[in-house]
Amino acid sequence: MEHSHHEGEVIIQATDLTVSRGGTIVLDNINLTIRQGDFVALVGPNGSGKTTLVMAILGLLHPTKGTVEILGQDSEKMKFDGKIGWVSQAAANLPKNVRITVRELIALGVLSTKSLIPFRGNKQETQRKVNDALRIVGLQDVADVDIYRLSGGQRQRAVIGRALASNPEILVFDEPLVGVDRESRNSLLKLLDELCHKENKTLLMVSHDLPAIRQSAHRVIYLDLVHDKDCCSGGIQYDGPTDQFPDLVGLAALRGIQNVHESPSFAITSHGTSSSVVLSGTSKEEE
Amino acid sequence: MVFEDISIFLLEIIGPFLETIAPYMPGETTPVVLGMEFFHRALIAAILATVVGGFFGSFLIMRNLALMGDGLAHVSFGGIAVGMVLGGVAPLWYALIFSTIAAILIHEMQTRELLTGDASIAIFLTGMLALGLVVLSVWDVGITSTVEGYMFGSLLIIDNESLGLIVVISLFALSTLYMFHGSLLAATIDGVSAKVQGLPVRFIGLWFSITTAAVVVSMVQIVGTLLVTALLVTPAATGQLVGRSFKGCMIWTQVFGLVSVLLGLYFSNELETGSGSMIALISAIIFAVVLISKSVYKQYIMKPVANR
Repeated sequence: MEHSHHEGEVIIQATDLTVSRGGTIVLDNINLTIRQGDFVALVGPNGSGKTTLVMAILGLLHPTKGTVEILGQDSEKMKFDGKIGWVSQAAANLPKNVRITVRELIALGVLSTKSLIPFRGNKQETQRKVNDALRIVGLQDVADVDIYRLSGGQRQRAVIGRALASNPEILVFDEPLVGVDRESRNSLLKLLDELCHKENKTLLMVSHDLPAIRQSAHRVIYLDLVHDKDCCSGGIQYDGPTDQFPDLVGLAALRGIQNVHESPSFAITSHGTSSSVVLSGTSKEEE
Repeated sequence: MVFEDISIFLLEIIGPFLETIAPYMPGETTPVVLGMEFFHRALIAAILATVVGGFFGSFLIMRNLALMGDGLAHVSFGGIAVGMVLGGVAPLWYALIFSTIAAILIHEMQTRELLTGDASIAIFLTGMLALGLVVLSVWDVGITSTVEGYMFGSLLIIDNESLGLIVVISLFALSTLYMFHGSLLAATIDGVSAKVQGLPVRFIGLWFSITTAAVVVSMVQIVGTLLVTALLVTPAATGQLVGRSFKGCMIWTQVFGLVSVLLGLYFSNELETGSGSMIALISAIIFAVVLISKSVYKQYIMKPVANR
């Protein structure tokens, strides 16, 4: 299943990746190639293993079987050196009782294992990296403002800035559009586009937000549980260009649902100010 | 012993200075007390514990572990009680061992998600306080004035060995915090980001727990096991009300902490109250005043801006 627009260098390669949790196979024999310059959206219902796949790719959990190579290294023995940036969901992941300015937050992204050795940090170098990140995410004007005084969209930009500060090759996003209003949403999507095309980053985005994905990503990987007699195991149900990613009816067929209209939990809902498709568990055995 | 030497060395440097300024101090008792060696020890210990406690307290609040200081202090009391019965070395050493073990256990239980933060802390808190009280009554020590000193803080029980231990703990805590504060902040704000960045999140968490335990022990003689929160969390919480950046919060925390301690010691001398309770009371009053002024400010002065 190779549908990449780019013929760039392979930077993420998962081979026969299997991950189980508590007896359930969450990911079953995943084979996946991501090349330099790709903008990949990872979609699927809750519990389909999106986060598990990302964590396995980053080497943060041990696969039952198979390997992941990322930037030429085995992900489990990965020496993280700022080549990967993780963008968490700002709305949910920032603790409420930390007062911190945008500049201070972004400066944390410059830290590496080397910064644990005292007097090794180069202040000017740090400042330059922070200013570059501030410029890319467009937050120069609010650099010294407490992040809790910012809008959801600005806060998400600050978190992206933090991930950008180490000048990574790969950026991994976890639901970046949750808690972001409609106006900020479009400008955030524009930022993602710029990160891919102007800054030459490879983007991997976990998201539920199908309209946003159709608007921005090059490639969609759709994960879902495969049901068989022993219960279920997770796998890739679609991997290809965004413009060929099936619509709702097609998706339903992919998931083995015959009649979309008879399945009440498979619906378009209004989520905050932006409408998005909620792919909650629907198939017979699930839930 | 090394710890006593450290204490004597410090007193030799700072003592003459304090004796010189003593006559110029306000009040009746303070000028007299400031000329005495026991108060020099108390003052050095209190200032060190406040500075270190302010930094660690700020991180405890950020990590939603404000109760941790209280829990570890109660564990220390258990250790002190055992130490008073067994003897050998200063009870503070027993407190250090007990609270360090408790900190590691609590940290491991939390990272393995065996217990949520508050529950595991509360169990250690009551369990070890109870152990201390039972040990004291079974061995017929009872609640003596020394025991009360450990519970509510007493400047008189700070001897040279204790001051030396407090100095060493404070220097260790400050120097390691200087190295790790960035990583600690990164891990506090977003653990996954910090891991992906290559920061040793697990190690940082363990170091923070152990060092916090030691810092709490260093505060026990000044404010007492029951009032440790006053020095650890209250100035940090007040600082968070005023500061608008991480750096700002740290500076304000130190300002509020030092003001609380100095005013607390002054009034406890003048009114002849316990030092710990006076420091705790002053820091709580400062917190209340700042909180009220802030809400008044927000309500009446900031309103046009807030409505933008």
